[in-house]
Amino acid sequence: MTSRPGNSCLRHGALLGAPCLILLFGTFLFAAPAAPEDPYALLAQGTRLIEDGRLDEALERFQKVSPPEAGEDAGVFVRARMEAAKILFSRQDYETSAKMCTDILSLLPDNLEAKNMLTRIQAAQTPEWLKFLKDMQTYLPTLLKATGMTLLLVLITMLVSPLLGLLIALGRISRINMIASFFWGYIWLFRGTPLLLQLFFIYYGLPPLGITLKPFTAAVIGLGLNYSAYLAEIMRGAIESIDKGQMESAKAIGMTYWQAMRRIIIPQTYKRLVPPVGNEFIALIKDTALVSTIAMVELMRAADQIFNATFNIFILVQAAIIYLILTSIFTLSFKRLEDRLGVYENR
Amino acid sequence: MIELKSVVKRFGDLTAVDHVSLSIKKGEKIVIIGPSGSGKSTLLRMINFLEKMDAGQILLEGKPVGYRTDKQGRPQLDKPAVICKLRSEIGMVFQHFHLFPHMTVLANVMEGPLTVKKLGREASRTIALDQLGKVGLLDKQDAYPAFLSGGQKQRVAIARALAMQPMIMLFDEPTSALDPELVGEVLNTIHALAEEGMTMLIVTHQMGFARELADRVIFMDNGRFIFEGHPADLFSPDMEHPRIKAFLAKIL
Repeated sequence: MTSRPGNSCLRHGALLGAPCLILLFGTFLFAAPAAPEDPYALLAQGTRLIEDGRLDEALERFQKVSPPEAGEDAGVFVRARMEAAKILFSRQDYETSAKMCTDILSLLPDNLEAKNMLTRIQAAQTPEWLKFLKDMQTYLPTLLKATGMTLLLVLITMLVSPLLGLLIALGRISRINMIASFFWGYIWLFRGTPLLLQLFFIYYGLPPLGITLKPFTAAVIGLGLNYSAYLAEIMRGAIESIDKGQMESAKAIGMTYWQAMRRIIIPQTYKRLVPPVGNEFIALIKDTALVSTIAMVELMRAADQIFNATFNIFILVQAAIIYLILTSIFTLSFKRLEDRLGVYENR
Repeated sequence: MIELKSVVKRFGDLTAVDHVSLSIKKGEKIVIIGPSGSGKSTLLRMINFLEKMDAGQILLEGKPVGYRTDKQGRPQLDKPAVICKLRSEIGMVFQHFHLFPHMTVLANVMEGPLTVKKLGREASRTIALDQLGKVGLLDKQDAYPAFLSGGQKQRVAIARALAMQPMIMLFDEPTSALDPELVGEVLNTIHALAEEGMTMLIVTHQMGFARELADRVIFMDNGRFIFEGHPADLFSPDMEHPRIKAFLAKIL
């Protein structure tokens, strides 16, 4: 025998091996896996693959876990689908990720994790500007409530400061030197220092002296004192701009100084007062923002708080729009008031 | 009725009224003429205490104007209420009308009776309408002064002063600010008032008017009266005073 037994053996092996390989491939390609793979094993493999950073393979394993048969425990399936959803979400495949979540929910409709995931997917799918709009809608009631506080401060100051201002203006033009000097000093003090400083002093500086004020009270006092000083100067200017002959002719029919002031001089200042006082009140709307520094929540403070929580710049835009609406309403009203007060003028 | 005793008014170095004495009887019409700055208006304004005098005394029906005598016999400034009462009895009409622009014509005339005399709205209204009727402006009662002509404004101002039923009327150049064609209507109004017997003291540059109306004419220059007498004498060709001759030559 010349051939070596080893060769013959190899040849036979090859002959035998080919059908075996075909058989093996055939099984893989054409026959469904007879028994589903063990879900526990798949979940365990997937988890380990995540640890190794092999996310594709992990995803494959997780997705292989099949829904539980009736009576079987759903826990493994839910875990696997959830893990798959997370991987898909991080790859921004929102559609498939959502599909994973709905798989879970069709089995366990109350699953909180899946629901939260769906919300996150929805949020991720909405464009940025839409998100901003949604924020604006969400926080609008908060801003409007704060606008109410701003308006309240403005209206109270609008009520208090003209009355106080008139008193100061009349004191300022008094012929009694003591009175005139006192009110000159008042105006000097309140016009010459920042409103912010005055608010700080009233809110933080008075308690050591035994006067503790609520933020709202401190804000009203601060704004009222400050604005009355400005209005006093405007009113003084208006009173002094009325023709001297008016006071003389009022006196000539026997009026006292105060009767002449009340009936003749001051009523003639109204129309002249409207434009500059309107300006002051518009400045006031914006100056109320300063009271946010003494723990008052008004429009500016509320907008600032929401902005810091959301970093949504459109909240500030929204606040700006509210301020603009307020100032526009004021501007228009003062224009109409001016026209109405001017009826006695021949133009 | 009115007695001025050596009245003096100074503005700094300038003596606007220099020791002037004058006596006005009830129903008398006195016209003061003279160049600008001669102290005519100041004199008028001192009578209702719109200007304080520096020396002398003014008596209205025997009572001193603006001052009372204290226990030591020194003059003291009167209380505002007394001064206001005095002014309410003296009517004054200004060169520039000084109507209250924010009130209608009717409200302007009502203002005195309403606020000063406190007669109530209805009574004040009746008085005001009566006076507006006299100056012929009933149809303008609801207009604002800005919509009136100068002559109409001055007539309203006259009605406003008359509504207080004053015992004397002071006119401070009532026609100087008017367009020439509007002077007549105001002078007619004053004439009508004179015919009713109103005591009047008028500062004017209307010479013809002075001649017709005045019981007495005063020529004032540099704070003094340099002529006081019948208008016929002032305007007579025999007038010799050089200041008066020069002034009249310019004006007539």
